[in-house]
Amino acid sequence: MSNESRDTDAPLFREFEHTGDVGIEIIAPDRDQLFRRAALALASLLVDRSRVEEREEREVSVKGETDADLMHDLLAELLDVFVVDEFVWRDASVVCRDGSIKATLKGERFDADRHQFRGEIKAVTYHQLTVRQEGTDWRARIIFDI
Amino acid sequence: MQLIKLNDHLWEIPRQAPMLVPGRIYANERMIGELRDDPALTQVANVACLPGIVGYSLAMPDIHWGYGFPIGGVAAVDAQEGVISPGGVGYDINCGVRLARTNLEFAEVEARVDQLADALFAKIPAGVGSEGAIPGLSMAELRQVVTQGSEWALRNGYATRRDLEHTEEGGRLSGADPDQLSERAYKRGAKQLGTLGSGNHFLEVSRIDRIFDAGLADALGLRMNQVTVLIHSGSRGLGHQTCDDYLKVIGSAMARYEIRLPDRQLAAVPISSPEGQAYLGAMAAAANFAWCNRQVMMHLAQQAFLEALSISPRELGFELIYDVCHNIAKFEEHTFEHRQRRVCVHRKGATRAFGPGHPALPEALRPFGQPVLIPGDMGRYSFVMVGLETAMRETFGSSCHGAGRVMSRTKAKAEARGRDLPAELKAMGVTVRARTRAGVAEEMPAAYKDVDEVVRVMEAAGVTRNVARLKPFAVIKG
Repeated sequence: MSNESRDTDAPLFREFEHTGDVGIEIIAPDRDQLFRRAALALASLLVDRSRVEEREEREVSVKGETDADLMHDLLAELLDVFVVDEFVWRDASVVCRDGSIKATLKGERFDADRHQFRGEIKAVTYHQLTVRQEGTDWRARIIFDI
Repeated sequence: MQLIKLNDHLWEIPRQAPMLVPGRIYANERMIGELRDDPALTQVANVACLPGIVGYSLAMPDIHWGYGFPIGGVAAVDAQEGVISPGGVGYDINCGVRLARTNLEFAEVEARVDQLADALFAKIPAGVGSEGAIPGLSMAELRQVVTQGSEWALRNGYATRRDLEHTEEGGRLSGADPDQLSERAYKRGAKQLGTLGSGNHFLEVSRIDRIFDAGLADALGLRMNQVTVLIHSGSRGLGHQTCDDYLKVIGSAMARYEIRLPDRQLAAVPISSPEGQAYLGAMAAAANFAWCNRQVMMHLAQQAFLEALSISPRELGFELIYDVCHNIAKFEEHTFEHRQRRVCVHRKGATRAFGPGHPALPEALRPFGQPVLIPGDMGRYSFVMVGLETAMRETFGSSCHGAGRVMSRTKAKAEARGRDLPAELKAMGVTVRARTRAGVAEEMPAAYKDVDEVVRVMEAAGVTRNVARLKPFAVIKG
C-alpha cells in the first residue's frame, strides 16, 4: 500500500523526445510508487492536475503476467476512465500484488475549461515499454500515441 | 544501416537475414542524410521480416519513427500466405483526409474569415468533454455506422450519393464485422461520431494559390483562388481501442503460428487465422466509423459556411473532391514481376495512389488517376496530386501522406514557450481556433518538414503528379 504523501511538487516524471508522440520516464523508490506515479503522470498529460478536486473515488483493477503488461493495462484502463467516464484524478493510491494491481483514484468529473485540457491521448503503446528495478530504484519508460 | 542509392530519389536496404525482401525508401539525398541513424530505417528492415511480404518493404519520403511499422511504411503481403499486422495499420484506423471544393473565391470570404472560423469551431466538436455531433447514439445505431460507413451518413441526411462516389471504397469497406469490436471500443466511439479529435487532426480552409497542371485541376473542379476545405481525422476512440485490443490478441497468438518478429508492436498472424480474420472484421468496422465521421464533419462544415456567410447551398457549391485513408490494410490486385497477385497492402501513414484507368476509381475521375491529398503544416500549404501508372508498378499504388515531423512535441512546446503562436500565424495570414494552447504549440509549422520537399520526391519518382497547392487561411484544431 502506498503511504507516500501527495508529491505534486516533486518531479513525477520526465518527458523524453519521441517524434510525433510523447514518451515519459518515471523513477520511484518502490513498485507501488512507480505505478502510482505513472497514474498521476497520465493525468498530468491530460489536464492541469493541480486544478482537479478530490470529490470522488474510483477503483480500477488489472491483472497481467509481467510488470510491462500491468503498466500497459493499468494506463489503458485509466485512459478509458478519462475518455468514457470523463473522470480525472488528482491523486491515486496503488496496491500491487503478484500479477495484479488495484488503483484508487481521487478526483472528479472532467471539466474541459476548469481542468485546462491538454489534448487527447490515443493509446498506451507497447513500443519500447519497460518496467524494471535498478538497484534500489524502480524505473519505467512509456510512450503514448498522441 | 547499409543503404544503396538506386537513383536520385530511391534507396535500398539490401536483404539480409532475417529480412525476406529488401527495403526501399523514397527520399532525396538531403533526406537520406538525416535518416541514416534514424530508428525508422530499422523499422523498414523489421517490416521486411513479415511472412508473405511481396517485393519490398517500402517507405515514403515522409518516413519517421513509428510503432512496429515506420510512419510512411507500405507492405504488401500475399493474400493467401501472408500475415496481417495491426501495427501496419496503426492506432488510428482509417485516419485520412478529405477535400471539399466551393464556388467561392478567397476575395469573397476574406473580410469574414473570423466569423467563418468561429462558426466552424462552434459547429465541429473536438471530442473529449463535449457531446458528439450526433448525441445519444444507441448501440444498434453504432453497429449500423460501423457496418455501413458513409452509407449511414447518406441514410441519415449527412451525405449525398455523389459524396460516397468520391470516397475511397465508397466510404464502406466490405467485411466489417460489428461483433469483433469490444464493448470498450463502442463506448469510446459512442460520443465521438462527427468529432475532430486533437493531436495532428485539423480542419483547414484554404485558397488555391498554385496550379501545377491546369488540365487536371479543371478535371477535378479546382481553380486559382478557390476556397477549399480539408479535413484530417480518423476513427477516434473506437479505432484506437480496436488497435489496442488486437495488439494484445495477436501478440499472444503469434507463438501458436510460430511467428517471431523483432518488435512486439509488429505483432502479426496469418491472414487466414481466426485471429487475423477477427482483426480484419474489426479493422473494417473501425474504418467505416472513420469515413462516417469525416462525412458528418463535412456536413457540419457546410452548415458553418452557410450560416457564417449567409449564402445558399447553390451559391456555396460545396462538393467533395475525394476522401482518402492513410492508415489501413486492404486487399488489392497488383502485378508484381509480371505476375498478377492478390495482396493485402498495409499502408501506415501512406496514401493509396491508383493510376489513371483503375476500375476502383469513380467514373468521373477514372481517366485522370486517383486524387491524393497531402496535408502540410498549418502555416505553409497542402497539396492535391493524382496517382500515376508508376505507382502501380513500384509502390503497390501508394504515395506519401503528409509532411512528417522534424521536431518532437516536447521540443515544440519548449520552442513555443513565451511566444504567441496564434498571433504569429495570424501575421502569416492564418486564423487559428484551437481548444488547447499546447495543441497549437505542438503543431507549429517549424515542427514539420516542408511538405513541398516530400511531394517533389514523389513526383520526381513518377509516383504522383502535382495538381494544385492549397494555402490555409483558417485552421480549426481540436
